[in-house]
Amino acid sequence: MAKVKIATVWLESCSGCHMSLLDVDLFIVELAKLVEFRRSPITDIKDFDDVVVGIVEGSVGNEEEKEVVEQLRHHSQIIMALGDCACFGGVCAMRNTLDKADVLKRAYIDTPSTYKGKIPRSPGVPELLDKVYPVNQIIKVDCYVPGCPPEPEAIKYGLTELLAGRIPVVPSNMMRFD
Amino acid sequence: MSEITLTINGQQCKGKQGDTILDVCQANGIDVPTLCHYKGLVDIAACRMCLVEVEKERKPVPSCTYPARDGLVVTTNSEKIEKYRRMILELLFTERNHLCAYCVASGDCELQKLAYKYQMDNTRYEYSWPDKTTDTSHPYIVLDHNRCILCARCIRVCDEITGAHALDFSKRGWKTNVSADINQPLGESSCISCGACFQVCPTGAIFSKASAYKGRTSECTTVFSSCPICGVGCDIKGLVKDNHVVKIESPDLTKPRGLLCQMGRFETLYTPAERVRTPMKRNSKGQLTACTYEEAFEDIAKNLGSNGSVAGLASGKASSESLKAFAELMDKGFGSKMVDTLDGDDFRTVTMGMTKFDAKAGFATEAKLEDILTADSIVVIGANPIKTHPVIGSYILRAAAKNKANLVVVDPLRNPFTFRTSVWVRPAEGKKALAIKAIIRAIMEQGKTAKAPANFAEIDIKKAAKDLEVDSHDLFQAGEILAGSKNGIIIYGEGVLQYKDADMVALILNLAALINTQPRVISLKRYGNSRGAWDLGISNAKSSVIDELAKGKVKGVYLLLADDLAESQSLADSLKRVEFVVAQASYLSPVTAKASVVLPSLLWTESKGSYTTLDGIQKSTVPMVKPGNDIKPDVDTLKEVARHLKKIRA
Ligand code: SF4
Ligand code: SF4
Ligand code: SF4
Repeated sequence: MAKVKIATVWLESCSGCHMSLLDVDLFIVELAKLVEFRRSPITDIKDFDDVVVGIVEGSVGNEEEKEVVEQLRHHSQIIMALGDCACFGGVCAMRNTLDKADVLKRAYIDTPSTYKGKIPRSPGVPELLDKVYPVNQIIKVDCYVPGCPPEPEAIKYGLTELLAGRIPVVPSNMMRFD
Repeated sequence: MSEITLTINGQQCKGKQGDTILDVCQANGIDVPTLCHYKGLVDIAACRMCLVEVEKERKPVPSCTYPARDGLVVTTNSEKIEKYRRMILELLFTERNHLCAYCVASGDCELQKLAYKYQMDNTRYEYSWPDKTTDTSHPYIVLDHNRCILCARCIRVCDEITGAHALDFSKRGWKTNVSADINQPLGESSCISCGACFQVCPTGAIFSKASAYKGRTSECTTVFSSCPICGVGCDIKGLVKDNHVVKIESPDLTKPRGLLCQMGRFETLYTPAERVRTPMKRNSKGQLTACTYEEAFEDIAKNLGSNGSVAGLASGKASSESLKAFAELMDKGFGSKMVDTLDGDDFRTVTMGMTKFDAKAGFATEAKLEDILTADSIVVIGANPIKTHPVIGSYILRAAAKNKANLVVVDPLRNPFTFRTSVWVRPAEGKKALAIKAIIRAIMEQGKTAKAPANFAEIDIKKAAKDLEVDSHDLFQAGEILAGSKNGIIIYGEGVLQYKDADMVALILNLAALINTQPRVISLKRYGNSRGAWDLGISNAKSSVIDELAKGKVKGVYLLLADDLAESQSLADSLKRVEFVVAQASYLSPVTAKASVVLPSLLWTESKGSYTTLDGIQKSTVPMVKPGNDIKPDVDTLKEVARHLKKIRA
């Protein structure tokens, strides 16, 4: 049987969800037999090709992240949002009660350790969006595994269900938002 | 009450007339999710989680306010209802800023639990991200509007149980907020810091500074105990993790003495002074240094064993067991008759006053705290219960708000309840006795003379008013209100006892006899176990032993202080002329600084002990944490001192 192709992206987040993905113990061996990781921070492949499952860690907070997640949608049959940031906005969404200009000023000018700071503006630095968004407000998402980071157990459940051809909904006893 | 039968989810369920649908569901073990409902508070159907379908009703109804009727057909678990509930959860999550990953309530939050239950792995609505503030102005509580779901549990508990009504909603619709008073910072509001709102808040919107991030309920062990601090004797539930008290809660807020106050709930979590960790004695340079128990005991025996005049002073904060052992040590060990409590004068004033009124009167004839809740009028004389015994303050506020009890305050000082007071007689300083006489006279003028003392006939109210510097109208009004009272109660405290005037106490009893068939009076005692110490006869000295110390005739004194820091400076001052002072105490204080030997003492959270509430109920503490060092229980320390005294004499 051909391996199922999976791509994963790491957007605005801490990478904890990817860590948790690698924290599934022996299941990782099982998984390696069944799936092939294409573009992913784990493989370091930079280009998209068509995959069955696209996994998103992180929320969408700047132009680049928006573009990446839109491309992933384009190339994936199923999108799974992994972790609180992807599902709800998470820690990154803390800035959403503040004004974007104030956030930039605080980060690049006002911080006590900054001397003559200035807000970087160059074509190479993606613009912040006005707010940080959970993934489902940018693209269509098919399933979710919340948690900060998600429990390995919940990730395992989600992937197993997907591999069995079902859309997973994490059961109550595996749900964690922290 | 007649029984009714409903069909719930196709099942026959019995309930009582007057029940809501939710009551019947809960009584029959049918799970209906709720958020704003809290047992014992008036239901308001704010959160809509408890929606159910009722046959013939056009739309789902909130089961917490819908009256159950015989024959109703109810569905609590249809697909439609479950869909609505999930929708409500998503709306709640997107309405304010819920970021569980770093929320103080995560793991304990009722909203989060329901989201898990309904497998809410995303929200279909756009987030509102409102710019909400966090009010940290209160010394113990934080009010974080970001997490508030506007369930009004806090508002209801503060009004219905605490009686303070410090909280309410301000603004409307989208802008609705929980506000203290008229939008004051909580720390500057009329909040009395009982912490009930913190206990009932289902989310992280109200939390305690001392408990935040110290451990979730599931990580804690639970210890049921009672609070010995003020003499009310509230039941408590301590949550303990890693030998630290994380949180103190009430096992049931709606039960009598279930409320708790800032002293029990919050102050217990803080350390007011440095602990006495080991025994200490003076070295050759006169400095207090750590020593072994043995060295301390020997030092005491050597210096006080043959010293003729040793006095003993105990704080009413010590447990009855410690006090008993202390009394025995003073009697058998030191052969001393100079034994007293720090509040011995209060005891003598009250008992003498009671005897003056009626030879048979004693503490047993004092009222129970719960009598306040059913009183039709309450007279507070020279006391500020909201400060000294906050739960009694709550009882008074509740009686005034719920039963419309008349509240008459006689005090030159402003009381936090002024807003619920019917009449505030504010006599010039030192003239309370005359004020009471004038009120008695005013009651007599209303024709209620049968039980009034005869010699009061001469009092002229207008003249008295002038002397008291009050409006005579206040006195007449107090008389008018109280003349109609059949079930009145009087609460007095510090402001009366400070004068050491037994006649004033007798006067209060006279007034009490006029407003009830039996005189109902509660004297507010200074310490949590004052009553226990008094019942043990420790304050039986004829006159104050503290006064004796100042005269310089006492050579040595043994102080049993427990965790008492209240009058530390004045007590230290009165020790100036005493040669050898032993202080058995939990904390370093001006008193221990004067001591020749200091012995450590456990805290109530570390030990088992009995306490008698100020109205005579027996309560006991259960240890919640283990003491850090090898500190002996008070009783063992006292017995050891006795043993060493015996040894040196033999
Ligand atoms: S209040 Fe509850 S639901 Fe809201 S962020 Fe905190 S833990 Fe999560
Ligand atoms: S602490 Fe007590 S008095 Fe203060 S707001 Fe909360 S419930 Fe009301
Ligand atoms: S602060 Fe807490 S108890 Fe009060 S309304 Fe908000 S969520 Fe409810």
